[in-house]
Amino acid sequence: MKTKGLSTFASLRAGVVALVATALVITPLAVAHAADAPTFGKACTTEGVSTGQKTTSLICQTGANGKLTWQRVRLGSTNAQPVANLTPPKGSIEFHHWRSEDKVVLQGIIDDFQAKYPGTKITQVITDSTNYQNLELSKVSVNPKAALVTIFRGQQFTDFSKANMMVDLSNERFVKQNVIQSALTPGILNGKVYAVPYQSLFNNPIYNTEMFAKNGWKTPSNWTELLGFCKTAKAKGIIPFAWPAATKGNAGQIMNAMMMNSDSSIAAITQHVNDIQAGKELVTDAWFKGIATKYAQMNTAGCFPDNVVAYSDVAAQADFAAGKAAIYPTGTFGMGPIKALNPAMAGKMGIFGMIVVDSKPVFEGITNNTFMFSINPKASSTDQKLARSFMSYLLTSQVAQKYAVGTSQHVSVINVDYAENVDLLNTSVIMGKKLVLAPRFLFTNGAVATPVELALMAIGSGKDVATVLADTAKQIKTALGV
Amino acid sequence: MTSPARNSRNKKEKRILLWMALPAFAVYASLYLYPALSNLLYATQKWDGITKPEFTGLRNITYLLTQDDLFRKALGNNLRFMLVVVIFQTAFALLFATFLLKNSKTNIFLRIVFFFPTILSSVSVGIIWTFLYDPSYGSITAFLKAIGLGSHAPLWLGNESITLYSIALTQVWFHTGQMIVIYVAGLQQIPKELYEAAEVDGASRWQQFKGITWPMALPTTAVVVAYTTIQTFRAFDLIFAMTGGGPSYASEILVTQIYNTAFISQKFGYASAQSIVLVVLVLFITWLQRKTLRVNDGAK
Repeated sequence: MKTKGLSTFASLRAGVVALVATALVITPLAVAHAADAPTFGKACTTEGVSTGQKTTSLICQTGANGKLTWQRVRLGSTNAQPVANLTPPKGSIEFHHWRSEDKVVLQGIIDDFQAKYPGTKITQVITDSTNYQNLELSKVSVNPKAALVTIFRGQQFTDFSKANMMVDLSNERFVKQNVIQSALTPGILNGKVYAVPYQSLFNNPIYNTEMFAKNGWKTPSNWTELLGFCKTAKAKGIIPFAWPAATKGNAGQIMNAMMMNSDSSIAAITQHVNDIQAGKELVTDAWFKGIATKYAQMNTAGCFPDNVVAYSDVAAQADFAAGKAAIYPTGTFGMGPIKALNPAMAGKMGIFGMIVVDSKPVFEGITNNTFMFSINPKASSTDQKLARSFMSYLLTSQVAQKYAVGTSQHVSVINVDYAENVDLLNTSVIMGKKLVLAPRFLFTNGAVATPVELALMAIGSGKDVATVLADTAKQIKTALGV
Repeated sequence: MTSPARNSRNKKEKRILLWMALPAFAVYASLYLYPALSNLLYATQKWDGITKPEFTGLRNITYLLTQDDLFRKALGNNLRFMLVVVIFQTAFALLFATFLLKNSKTNIFLRIVFFFPTILSSVSVGIIWTFLYDPSYGSITAFLKAIGLGSHAPLWLGNESITLYSIALTQVWFHTGQMIVIYVAGLQQIPKELYEAAEVDGASRWQQFKGITWPMALPTTAVVVAYTTIQTFRAFDLIFAMTGGGPSYASEILVTQIYNTAFISQKFGYASAQSIVLVVLVLFITWLQRKTLRVNDGAK
């Protein structure tokens, strides 16, 4: 009996393995036509190719044995049973956000919603991101019609919570069941969900896959390789990293990579940041000096373009789109504008985690969720209901997919298929890596974050590390003393 | 002696006049007086704009004047920016105005051309000039390259020692046309007989300028200089669009710093103290300029 039982179990196991193996081959085949890209085939030969972001999706990744194998996309969702959107009451509300580049796609979604529910009206109110971060709280607090408000992760979320300007969304089914649960972290405070991240950004370098293949280059996987790559690319007359040092904000994106493996854990990194913000640790101390020194090393190795101090994000995107630069180091959100500059770049963009240590990295890449939906508690109950309904509509997989494909952004909604946008597919690889939430936003005090970022921009542009850090330490001391 | 009836009518008229002034006063009081007085109160507080303010007396002002190196840097930048813009904008405006004085069709057309940048939004001007200055794709660098001076092309907005002057050049381009119009209006008030008499006496054009145009244009110059000074202290949008105050605070001026203090560092009380210093400074400089020009005027 025992033997027979084992034998039966063994047969069953063999059957299951065969079934899974068949599914692994068939599933990518089924969607291969949709991707219409040379990198997407039946065999798992190109790291990063994935079938989408569904619970059943697969991604081609290096396994524990070092070989490429199809693996499940990590959704991080524990209760993936998506629900339909809520039915709205009639009425009109304002939807506040800062992404003017998404205006058209969002308007299409709004039009669909309004057509589906006559008597509803959603008006987009768009402000540029800098002013949005600085002024939105004041504006919304006196405007109850601004019922649906997007919030940045970090300082703005903290400010809104201090001012009690967000509604608790923890019990909404569309939040619990439609959103990748691990992506909710930036919108959670004291165990409650106050804001729902929509986009899943990956603030990692985008590289020109065609250029890399043509030159026989591999994306650098550690610090030595990275500096070596810079020298190689520079020698060929190619800008290794199109780092926009003149554009604050985007210049700060590589700060995430510089920080993510700067200590043994995110807790330790957080402690350094908190200590600097409390005046207990200085930017001239070992931890931050180590980060700053890496910028200087990259500058010395020729990683950055000539005249980097005046190199804007516009120039960086133009150089990358024109094939003059190998890497655009800010993140996936740059893919849309790059394709707009040069449509031929479609399907030629890959992503990699920027590892700036030679030891085993703690983290392999960066993710961020900046575009978070919240409800204004000062809005009338009817307007809040309408806002909730529209939010739940945005968080359904079909609508999120329309947004994702149209804006070239990954989203934090489950069951979204990226097959219609080959670049989203090609950069999905990063989802399978060990990611950390963009650590630069741990600096929540603007009086500290700004001089810190400016210091790194100056050092990356060739200024002396010790001098800049000494000045910065003084500025922070002054700012904290007020 | 006025009759009681007339007195009563006068009082009634005064009352009506007072009532008529009320709407304007209400607007002035709510949009200017109240915020200005509130600002004085905020300057004595530590306040992040969200939580309850904490009274700190004169600490913000004393800290600002004794400890804040960045404020001193912004102040120095602002004074240099003002000096360059006031000198060049006034000089160019006066120079062009003297050539465009007559109301001929060509002159009127040229006045419109020179005035045109003034009607653009300052953010648009900032973006346009940022593109012009771009070291990779900018037209200015391209032009310098075309004439063989590419290797000498400076980093207009990247070199800390020239960034402020590059923005000052944009500001001069932006507002010279506006000052030309003011100067033309002022110069046209100078009696022609003075120039005719000078010509009879054999005065050269330079002598005419020195002896007639300049002294007679002093009241207009006072207006132009005062207005330009105020413009340079509120050039927030241009600097914000072009450099954001960078690189390394090289183009930070007082208004950009006040904005950063209030909305990025969220120190509204301290920003209020900074704005008070700014207002006092602008008042003092304007008073000084007017006094200087009047003294010269009197000496003549």
